[in-house]
Amino acid sequence: MTTILRPFYRAVWADPGRRSRKLLQFAQVEADGGRDLVRAAELTSDPVLRRRFHAHARDEARHATLFRARGLALRSEHFVADADILDADWIAPGERGLDDLRVEDEDMVSLLAFIHLSESAAARDFALYRDVLDHDPLTRAVFDCILRDEEFHMRYSLSELERAAPGRTRRLLWKARFRRLWKAYLRLAMAFAGVMAGMVLTIQYFVLLLPFALLAKRAARRERPGWIVIEPKHENLRGQY
Amino acid sequence: MRILGISAHYHDSAAALLIDGVPVAAVQEERLSRRKNDAAFPLSAIEWCLDHAGLEPEQLDCVVFYERPALKFDRIVTTLLRSFPHSRRAYTKAMKNMLGEKLWVKGMISSELGVPGSKILFTEHHQSHAAAAFIAAPCERAAILTADGVGEWSTLTVGEGMKRSDGSVTIKLLRELRFPHSLGLFYSSFTAYLGFAVNEGEYKVMGLAAYGNPSRLDDVRKLISRTDDGAFALDLSYFDFHGSVESSYSKRFVELFGPPRSPYEPIDLETGEGQRFADIAASAQRVLEDVLVDLARDLQRETGLADLCLGGGVALNGVANARLLAESGFDRIFVPPAPGDAGCALGAALYADRIHFGQPHCAVPDHPFWGPTIDAGTLARLAKEDSLPNETIEDDRKLDMLAGELADGRVIGWMEGALEFGPRALGNRSILAAPHDAAMRDRLNRDIKYREEFRPFAPVVLREHADRFFLLPAGGPRLARFMSAVFPVRPEWRHRLAAVTHVDGTARVQVLDETMAPRLRKLIEAYGHRTGMPVLLNTSFNLAGEPIVNGAAEGYSTFRRSGIDLLVAGNVCVRKKHQSQQTQLEDVA
Repeated sequence: MTTILRPFYRAVWADPGRRSRKLLQFAQVEADGGRDLVRAAELTSDPVLRRRFHAHARDEARHATLFRARGLALRSEHFVADADILDADWIAPGERGLDDLRVEDEDMVSLLAFIHLSESAAARDFALYRDVLDHDPLTRAVFDCILRDEEFHMRYSLSELERAAPGRTRRLLWKARFRRLWKAYLRLAMAFAGVMAGMVLTIQYFVLLLPFALLAKRAARRERPGWIVIEPKHENLRGQY
Repeated sequence: MRILGISAHYHDSAAALLIDGVPVAAVQEERLSRRKNDAAFPLSAIEWCLDHAGLEPEQLDCVVFYERPALKFDRIVTTLLRSFPHSRRAYTKAMKNMLGEKLWVKGMISSELGVPGSKILFTEHHQSHAAAAFIAAPCERAAILTADGVGEWSTLTVGEGMKRSDGSVTIKLLRELRFPHSLGLFYSSFTAYLGFAVNEGEYKVMGLAAYGNPSRLDDVRKLISRTDDGAFALDLSYFDFHGSVESSYSKRFVELFGPPRSPYEPIDLETGEGQRFADIAASAQRVLEDVLVDLARDLQRETGLADLCLGGGVALNGVANARLLAESGFDRIFVPPAPGDAGCALGAALYADRIHFGQPHCAVPDHPFWGPTIDAGTLARLAKEDSLPNETIEDDRKLDMLAGELADGRVIGWMEGALEFGPRALGNRSILAAPHDAAMRDRLNRDIKYREEFRPFAPVVLREHADRFFLLPAGGPRLARFMSAVFPVRPEWRHRLAAVTHVDGTARVQVLDETMAPRLRKLIEAYGHRTGMPVLLNTSFNLAGEPIVNGAAEGYSTFRRSGIDLLVAGNVCVRKKHQSQQTQLEDVA
């Protein structure tokens, strides 16, 4: 699968503008993931885990800085504008933070399982991106550096999971995999529903709204800018209108 | 009566609880969810308010939402129809947004809290702002001016409020300006153009303006004209917020001012491009001030009143507030600690209590400390678990020791009592430092707050010494109570207050009297005894992109991730180990 996708990744990462934008997006995601880890550190009652999460959050903040610095350098080297460039996020996603996790709603073992899987996925993706960046050694070096951390994060999250839930690690990891899958399905379903709703609303907009739009425009032409006197009225706080 | 006020769904949602006419709890959702400017339905905030008062939802007499969702929906649909067919994408987005959640507030409150629909009330957005500004202010009769982006239809209102001796309260809004003619959206369009986040980066525009010359005034004035009746109107050909989801300004705006700043590019004021952005910020700021001053002056002439209560997000503009005090003719101006939408939760509850139910007025305590209280024991436990040096010390000795640390250039994370309601840290969740050197400002921006170097820090000064260091007009101390205005630092002190003096010689000073934040006051006194200057640098206790800390755990994690040297909660003081030891501790964990 990786071999088949390699040409796509190569194409995605070839354009310096897109490369810059993706790195800047990754920076944002790493920073958000770092905040989630800080929140986890604030919520845990286990001092060892707290220190681990803080160290991990510090790494995420450093990754954000690395991605951002390289993204900005590419922008200025290649005079990248903020014009719309196809980002191809569905082909080359970033770390996705902790998958929109609400940290305060999770128990710590589920969170550790989630972190482990999330870091594994990120490490896999980043390794692929690094491999297609022969033409850009500086960006490649950024991925190299971050990959080393991701591997450490995978190891610590797994060992902490084993410590926190001895004998239940495999089951918890499978549970987390299913939850990731479920979330991916929900994302897909939401996106599909969004497209469908967009189509229905667009049809409604052009078919149904035209006469009302003409009336609204006519009314707007009659309105004079400036103060509007607020007439005294009987207050009814029960109405929403 | 037990009244719960709620604001939600646009930015900065919040809940506030009123019992027998007095606030007992108010908190922004972001402080509990830890998501900056959290706009979600404020369930955590509501739960905290009710828990704090020991109430169940069914014991509430009513729940008041801060605006009328159906009227807002009416404005959105009408505006989109007027922009037909340009508004196609905005229409689909707005419909999904409104029909998905925001239109069904009554059902949401009812299902989340289990209160019957008959107990749910709705005030108008600008009524909530007006009530938050006037009812909570310590004055009997005042003119009222509210201004923000937009509520339902109103973007700006003027009126008058009165508290009579029989306890009755009236708020009469006389006139309004309607969407799309909005001072808030005018300023927000410049915020977006200058590469800052709307509803968040307006402070930055104000800070940046001080570095520029208002050389683009004529251009900015093309965007906003004065009407014959003394109001104003935007030239909508320069804006796009009324019909687009992508941008709040139009191509014509860009043709006039040049390419917008990318949010990714740092502002370098040494370059021509950086100076261009600063000049545009200065010009937009000046025009906003001019319009506000004119409107307020007209209102003063019309009402003949000495006091003005300001509400709405525009009231967070401290430079404009100072000009209003100097030039509008009002003797005193009152800005609540939370003039924005979060404060509407409290405003809506006050409006329902005093106006709808006609409850007799009782004075609202004049402070912003309505949130959760700090637990010093939690900090002691966390520090002990991480083997960080911490000590529990008596008040007098502690304050003297801390004053010495500050004088030696250390930075202190300071947590006391109840959390502030509103965007400013006013003495209970603050980062404190010596205000003397510019190096301290740079250190705070670089190592602690991680934010743009052009942004200034604020001083806090004891009231009895305020005039010695700052040029405060009559009415200035009142406006500076909640850091609501920017005043000049006296020229002879600017070099000794370099960390808190902005490039234009001003500071957004907090004037601390004896009734507010007594421990901070004692600390400043102790610092004054040591240094001869009872002034400290006071900035909010948070890192860039995060809400102000709430509990000890958040303060502790912020302390660990930044260059803060000491953390204080109540009588517990935690000192940071040497950085290498700190890192080692985390690495071997």
